Amino acid sequence: MQLQKVDIVKNTKLQYLSHELLFLAKSGQPYRGSIYVNFMSLGETFNLLDFKKYITSLRDKKLNAEDIAYEIFLTITKSIETQNLGIVVDLTARGGIQQRISYGNEFNVVHKENIFQVR
Amino acid sequence: MDEKAYKAKRASEVTQLGSTQTQYKYEYDPTLLETFENVHPQMDYWVTLNADEFTSLCPKTNQPDFGTLIINYIPNIKMVESKSLKLYLFSFMNSGEFHEDVVNKIGKDLVKLMEPKYLEVIGLFYPRGNISIHPAFSYSNGDEKYNEIEKYRFLNRNLNPQRIG
Repeated sequence: MQLQKVDIVKNTKLQYLSHELLFLAKSGQPYRGSIYVNFMSLGETFNLLDFKKYITSLRDKKLNAEDIAYEIFLTITKSIETQNLGIVVDLTARGGIQQRISYGNEFNVVHKENIFQVR
Repeated sequence: MDEKAYKAKRASEVTQLGSTQTQYKYEYDPTLLETFENVHPQMDYWVTLNADEFTSLCPKTNQPDFGTLIINYIPNIKMVESKSLKLYLFSFMNSGEFHEDVVNKIGKDLVKLMEPKYLEVIGLFYPRGNISIHPAFSYSNGDEKYNEIEKYRFLNRNLNPQRIG
């Protein structure tokens, strides 16, 4: 999916996060998790409505869990030019094992809860 | 009942637990639910099931909704098997449901399935348009004790609402 470009100020540091990631394992079992996207702008970012639609489109996509960060990385790099792009995906536990998958530039994720959401 | 007979009975009651051929359904399907027998029906005890990964679709826009479901119940003869509950809850993934409806629907399905002494389902949904919705369903089997529990919990819910997060 192509994300529409939005012109912004160059060298702006951006971090996007969502706790609403859902995609399917090869078995068909849904994976749930959070995604974090971090980069320095080269004068553009992506339209957030497109990004939401893209995240939603993953709901019926079957992937190995380990490939999800690359899948998101690839979609962003196909759509916009960035500097130091990094993706982190935190998946909820399956069989007692939690997974964190990252691709691209390393960064520290900012943890923010949804307002009013009890966790 | 000896240990061996007990385990054999438990194993015969459920089909999905331990299956290596699990089929995932993404449209609402209450037939996925299975039960096993409560071997302590003379006791009143709470069972709490927390489902942090519940998701369904907005029936109008088809946008995904997410939330945590908390199911508390006092079992009678039947108890819901948790893998079947997981598969049942996954089956809402592509179903269009309002938050208030889905909590009642799940509550009614579980009451029909188990005929518990008491049951409640609480939905803590992620905010949409700055508003998060937390509906609560409750049921009593009509016995005075469970009616009292239902009334107490109904009247005392959210007496001290807090913003959390």
